[in-house]
Amino acid sequence: MIPVLQRFLNPSVLAGISGLDLVAKTVVDGFVSGLHRSPDFGFSQEFAEYRAYTPGDDLRHVDWNVFARTERCYLKRYRGETNTLLTVLVDASASMGYSSHQVSKIDYARFAAASIFYLAHQQRDAAGLIVFDDEVRNYIKPSTRQGQLHRLLHGIEHAEPGARTDFAKPFLHFQEFLKRRGIVVVMSDFYETPERIVKTVEPLRYHGNELILFHVLDPNEIRPKLREPVILVDLETQQSMEVSPDYANHEYTRKMDSHIEELKTLAQRSGIDYYLMSTDRPLDGALREYLSIRQGRM
Amino acid sequence: MAFLAPWFLAGLAAVGLPIYLHLLRQHKSTPLPFSSLMFFERRTQSSIKHRRLRYLLLLALRLALLILLALAFANPFINRPPESLRSDQLMVLVLDESFSMHAAGWLAEARTQAASLLASRPPTRRAQVMALGGQLRVLTQPTLDPGELRAALESVKGSGSRASYGELARAIRSLAQTVKTPIQVHLFSDMQKTALPAAFSELQFPENATLSLHPVSQKAEPNWTVETVSAPGLVWEPKRARVLATIAGYSTPAADRTVSLVINGKVAASKSVSIPAAGRATAEFQGLEVPYGFARCEIRIDSADSLREDDRALFAVERSDPRRVLLVHEPRDSRSALYFRAALAAAAESSFQLEPVSVDQAANLQPSRYAFVVLADLLSIPAPLEDELRKYVRNGGSLWIAAGPATARRPRVPVFDEPVKEARYYSRGGQRFLSVGDADATHPSLRRASRWEGVKFYYAVAVEPGSARVAARLTDETPLLLDKKLGEGRVLLLTSGLDNLTNDFPLHPVFVPFVEQTARYLSGIEQRRGPRTVDSFLELRSAREQAVGVEVIGPGGNRALSLNEAASQQSFALNREGFYELRRADGRHEMVAVNADRRESDLGIIPQETLALWMGQGEQPSSATAGPAAAPAQQVPFSIWWYVMLVVAAAVLAESFLASRYLAVGTEEGAG
Repeated sequence: MIPVLQRFLNPSVLAGISGLDLVAKTVVDGFVSGLHRSPDFGFSQEFAEYRAYTPGDDLRHVDWNVFARTERCYLKRYRGETNTLLTVLVDASASMGYSSHQVSKIDYARFAAASIFYLAHQQRDAAGLIVFDDEVRNYIKPSTRQGQLHRLLHGIEHAEPGARTDFAKPFLHFQEFLKRRGIVVVMSDFYETPERIVKTVEPLRYHGNELILFHVLDPNEIRPKLREPVILVDLETQQSMEVSPDYANHEYTRKMDSHIEELKTLAQRSGIDYYLMSTDRPLDGALREYLSIRQGRM
Repeated sequence: MAFLAPWFLAGLAAVGLPIYLHLLRQHKSTPLPFSSLMFFERRTQSSIKHRRLRYLLLLALRLALLILLALAFANPFINRPPESLRSDQLMVLVLDESFSMHAAGWLAEARTQAASLLASRPPTRRAQVMALGGQLRVLTQPTLDPGELRAALESVKGSGSRASYGELARAIRSLAQTVKTPIQVHLFSDMQKTALPAAFSELQFPENATLSLHPVSQKAEPNWTVETVSAPGLVWEPKRARVLATIAGYSTPAADRTVSLVINGKVAASKSVSIPAAGRATAEFQGLEVPYGFARCEIRIDSADSLREDDRALFAVERSDPRRVLLVHEPRDSRSALYFRAALAAAAESSFQLEPVSVDQAANLQPSRYAFVVLADLLSIPAPLEDELRKYVRNGGSLWIAAGPATARRPRVPVFDEPVKEARYYSRGGQRFLSVGDADATHPSLRRASRWEGVKFYYAVAVEPGSARVAARLTDETPLLLDKKLGEGRVLLLTSGLDNLTNDFPLHPVFVPFVEQTARYLSGIEQRRGPRTVDSFLELRSAREQAVGVEVIGPGGNRALSLNEAASQQSFALNREGFYELRRADGRHEMVAVNADRRESDLGIIPQETLALWMGQGEQPSSATAGPAAAPAQQVPFSIWWYVMLVVAAAVLAESFLASRYLAVGTEEGAG
């Protein structure tokens, strides 16, 4: 049963589902169904453990079903609930529109963001959204109000790749939107030098925010597969360049690996969580990352 | 330029393949969108431009390669005027070294003419020297070196071979297949008529070869020669031996000549014969008093002609004691020995002495002392004698069994060891007798016994042939003569008697050659052959005598075979006149006399008209000492396929180099 559900975490399967709410529900349900092997994670109000009854314990917590079967008193313990403020920053620059298969990077970011929103909604966390390219395109304030999930999904569904040449420019304005302590998730392909990226996103942590960088990359960007020389056109600058397979297979791959490794190292050094998301991999990694951060905040 | 095989130009269609691969299938360079080019570098683009240039160059080379290949197969040629080819001409000097060139210093004259022609040769013209005998011998490769050419001319000493102009034409035709430049052949010869082939078409020269004739003889020289000698090869009664010589004259007047028989260098007898004009006469010598062993004999005439080398004819004679033959018969059977002795004695070159003994006297005889043993229809045979005979045969001896009615009473034929099926008395049947139905003429016993008509067999023993070879059968398929190999020796079984009771075979003439040939076959003496001619071949060993050493000593007394050749060579070419001593694989010694081919003695020359036809001048009179024959007036086709192939090879090398460089570009830049 579980493999069938987890199959729906596959991005190419999700791409065939219309409606982000359905996508998010499918992902989260499939993800949660697979959590029985991971007792560290869970929802608020969720079951945590059994403990033997000791005198003085509140009888309301006794699990009478267990008592009926075993004639022993056990207390059913739940994890407590803490409201968390979640803000997801989705990069909608032109480069995010790249895809080498069914799912583009912006689609993948949409699925991941929608799933996180759905999960947050399930846990009654206040969630907000910022869509940006070279400036802020859409802002939905974090809230737990009725209809917030639909607003978020609607906002993210209309996030289309725009144009951007400067990565740092929109981040100058984000301080205004992030005044309360919470979790900030940045989804981007991070085409900038690692030093500048970290320097740009680092101020987001100043209010005590937990910061997660979701580095969304297409598998063809990590390991290009060229069989003959091609002319590549930059989606943002429209600049073109002829590239030989040998260069793409060796030099480019080395540079890209070095970029990822350096970004990861600098992010961790600055206390920022970093997670590389390849658009051909299941979405549960993003959810797991979010939950682990949230777990730490409880 | 034109083509000898233009249909190969259809191969030009193959140029479509690289065009398709290079141009139609090449990458269209459709721009592909990509997220960011921040990890790519501008320098890659310039290398691709260079590569595109190489790509087009590679395409051009491949197209050129295919076009050139198709052209080469189409065999292109250009028409060049004969003058332009003169510098490429190959001058081939052919000296006749046949036996007739010994006459009147003709060989020296030919050598002088050839040397003077070489001296007048332009220094840039290549020349080659060959010698014409039984075959065309190549003495030099095409060269400009006058010293090498002169040395080759001096090395021609003359031989005993017979010239063949047909062989010359055939060799030049072979030469023309490899030498594409014009070939000018100069033949220095006595233009002997007997050297012409049977068909004039065999004299045809290839298109690029022209012939110039340089005759050293202007008319037919008179010449007497010892044409043939008939003498026995083996003599055991010298007084009965007879030598018959034929003396021939070519273009000679009637004359008396003295003919001498020379034995081991000493004149044994002489007589005078009258030879008619251009005719023949015979001289007969009765008695051949030669010592035991081999004797070197010759017939010599006194002639005053220009060719003295053919005034003698050599032949070899061996004298030995007659070989003994043991015939064992029943005491009351005297007919077998009578007829057998008579047949052996009647043979012309018989050298056997028959010793008939009755079976009761034969017990203590040793068969190994006899050339072969005959068992004439024995009813019983002592066991020690049978064992002795069996051992004798297995060690290489020969046994002849005549199986008559007495043998038929035994269950098996002695020594032959095959069962007797039945005795067939044809005289008691309706047909009264049977004849020989099938005789294998390849069997040594029957090689000269061919007239079997009228020979009647009244009785035969039916014997299972087993592994024996059936050499003759009666008309009812009953085996008559069986040949079986036992160990190293053999047993011959005649399934009828040697007397005239079971058949009338001994009364017929065919009985004599049959007995003689069988005696020679069983005793291991093959038919002696007379003198051989130069360039004939001597068989050194039979199929069952492989890896056994033989030895040949030439006329000069030197060993003619190396150790390796002595152990393996099958035959030997007799290329000189004289006496050859031969020790065969079975240990027997022989002496072979070798004479020059007597057709060389006819010094008649080819008519001028025939020579003119040969030179391709039709009815025009020959210029005899003729310079170069008139070359064809039209232009000469000159094939250039070889040069095209050279360009193809160069294109292949360039293509390989460029293709490897093209494929290596990515690696180099990646490393950089």
